[in-house]
Amino acid sequence: MALSSHAREEIQALPPHYPQLRSAVMPALDIAQEELGWLPKEAMVEVAELLNLDTGYVEGVATFYTLFHLKPVGPHHFYVCTNLSCAFRGANDIVAHIRERTGLKEPGDISEDGLFSLDEVECLGACEYAPMMRYEHAYHYDLTPEKIDALIDAARAAKTASKEGGADAS
Amino acid sequence: MPAELRGSHGDSAGPVLTRLFGTPGLHTLSVYREHGGYAQLRRALTSLKPEDVHAEVKASGLRGRGGAGFATGVKWGFMPPPDGGPRYVVVNADESEPGTAKDRYLMENSPHMVLEGICLACFAIGAHDAWIYIRGEYDGPYARLNEAIAELRGEGIVGDKPFGSDFPLNIHVYRGHGAYICGEETALLESLEGKRAQPRSRPPFPAVKGAWGRPTLLNNIETLATVPWIVEHGGAEYAKRGTERSPGTRMMSVSGHVQRPGNYEVELGVTFEHVIMELAGGPLPGRTLKAFWPGGCSAPVLPASMLNVHTDMEALAAAKSMGGSGGVIVMDDTWCMVRAAARLLQFYAWESCGKCTPCRIGGDWAVRTFTRLLDGTGGAVDLEILDRIQDGLQNGRCLCGLGDSAGWVIMSSMRHFREEYEAHARGECELCGMRQEVAASA
Ligand SMILES: Cc1cc2nc3c(=O)[nH]c(=O)nc-3n(C[C@H](O)[C@H](O)[C@H](O)COP(=O)(O)O)c2cc1C
Ligand code: SF4
Ligand code: FES
Repeated sequence: MALSSHAREEIQALPPHYPQLRSAVMPALDIAQEELGWLPKEAMVEVAELLNLDTGYVEGVATFYTLFHLKPVGPHHFYVCTNLSCAFRGANDIVAHIRERTGLKEPGDISEDGLFSLDEVECLGACEYAPMMRYEHAYHYDLTPEKIDALIDAARAAKTASKEGGADAS
Repeated sequence: MPAELRGSHGDSAGPVLTRLFGTPGLHTLSVYREHGGYAQLRRALTSLKPEDVHAEVKASGLRGRGGAGFATGVKWGFMPPPDGGPRYVVVNADESEPGTAKDRYLMENSPHMVLEGICLACFAIGAHDAWIYIRGEYDGPYARLNEAIAELRGEGIVGDKPFGSDFPLNIHVYRGHGAYICGEETALLESLEGKRAQPRSRPPFPAVKGAWGRPTLLNNIETLATVPWIVEHGGAEYAKRGTERSPGTRMMSVSGHVQRPGNYEVELGVTFEHVIMELAGGPLPGRTLKAFWPGGCSAPVLPASMLNVHTDMEALAAAKSMGGSGGVIVMDDTWCMVRAAARLLQFYAWESCGKCTPCRIGGDWAVRTFTRLLDGTGGAVDLEILDRIQDGLQNGRCLCGLGDSAGWVIMSSMRHFREEYEAHARGECELCGMRQEVAASA
């Protein structure tokens, strides 16, 4: 089993919130992904079992939507918008800067320190703050190389601190 | 939440949606109520009939702000008579049309205005449950809506007896998971039902067979956010604003190469000159405007020489474009149109749900053709190919509007900027230097 008993309970409690069972599939996948960081096949099988759905059906849904990660991503994942309004304001330079600072090259890569990954995404609906991105469940606006550096440094410092403090390294 | 409000507020506040924006704490129930919030819902639930609310919306002439511009009052009238079973109001907060940020702006700044509009729509069509479908990336607005709904529960406004009436109200929020097509209404319903978001063929229309097979009213966030004002002041008062066939005000998200990008509430019928040059401050220093997409990237692009076009839907149709989502994307002379169009085709190809052949194949084919034009390996024949692709994508050959939109990008950019395409076909473009970058970053 990939999921904790807590996550399993949460998933089993979902169906009554929806007029039909199937609507619970994406919220259930969210719970699984929140816990695991991504959706391995076993997690989809488990979600299917918990909701009494066909595994193929759950996989079909998980593979359709881009916010479900079918491969592992870093704990710090950049979603940088590169659609027009952001591209006009320098989004491509921001992407290049993130690549340079983290060593990320191909889409789907995780940086060597295990911390970062990057997706170039379509318009995130905050074009007046271009260039912008989603990072750690929040929007970051008016991006500059300096702002990116600050985030990267903070993530690295947190990792070092947690190692030094003897806590589980993330 | 954004530190700084960009758009209509204070002195420049629009007359209907944004008049209170900038008021500290407007997103809380107490401040919203201090300014008259929920008075219309209370009045409706305690002393109006559903038909009264519907009649005002009809009289207002309000047209949907999601993209298609369909008359809201007419749409509400499609709901069949009650049959004793459930029916739903489904609210489109997917907001994924590139260049469009206004639903986010409304939800962040005044979630209760949005929710009051939703409750009024529920009352008018006899639905006790509303489902807000919000794009998954909107963490902030999602939290804000949930906080606001929790406040309403605490006060019993969402509950079994709002304002002591016998009209139970419940509001649910459902998160999307990153797919542009979920904004299309039937794909949205599929997604809400927990399926892959592929559009359904119509009929049956959502009014007859919508969410979970039940009668459903589907409207955009901004459309419903306008309803409390209409109920308060009357449809006739709303209709005094704007033009005869495009009444009222609408939000315009202005972005790209302008000095003051932001969300501005404008009276329909003002010119793009006003929106882009005055409200958004015009071009960046030393630059000249080249083009603008007047209603999201799916609305055919117009050259800067057409800034005098008016914002009402009829004027835009006459200019061979459309009002669409109200997202105004502005581009200046530092960018190459072929490169911009290529980036948009990359978007449509990636977001195609794959159900219809012309859209599934045509998008990728266009991207490959654009790539040749961009990297200098293309030629005049590629312009003919693009012409064939755009025709194949349009005119009812695809099930939903995504295919048409992809075709319009090619068609309109070639119509107004043919010489840039020809330069690329010859392998020479001073603006982008024939860099491959855009198409390669897919
Ligand atoms: C490809 C495509 C994407 C769309 N995206 C959105 C969207 O993100 N938000 C929205 O409100 N409407 C969107 N629409 C329009 C909806 O299908 C629908 O017309 C609208 O939500 C109805 O609400 P309204 O009448 O209040 O405008 C889209 C349409 C198409 C064809
Ligand atoms: S036009 Fe494209 S997005 Fe729309 S249903 Fe057909 S394949 Fe899907
Ligand atoms: S284009 Fe980047 S947020 Fe809209």
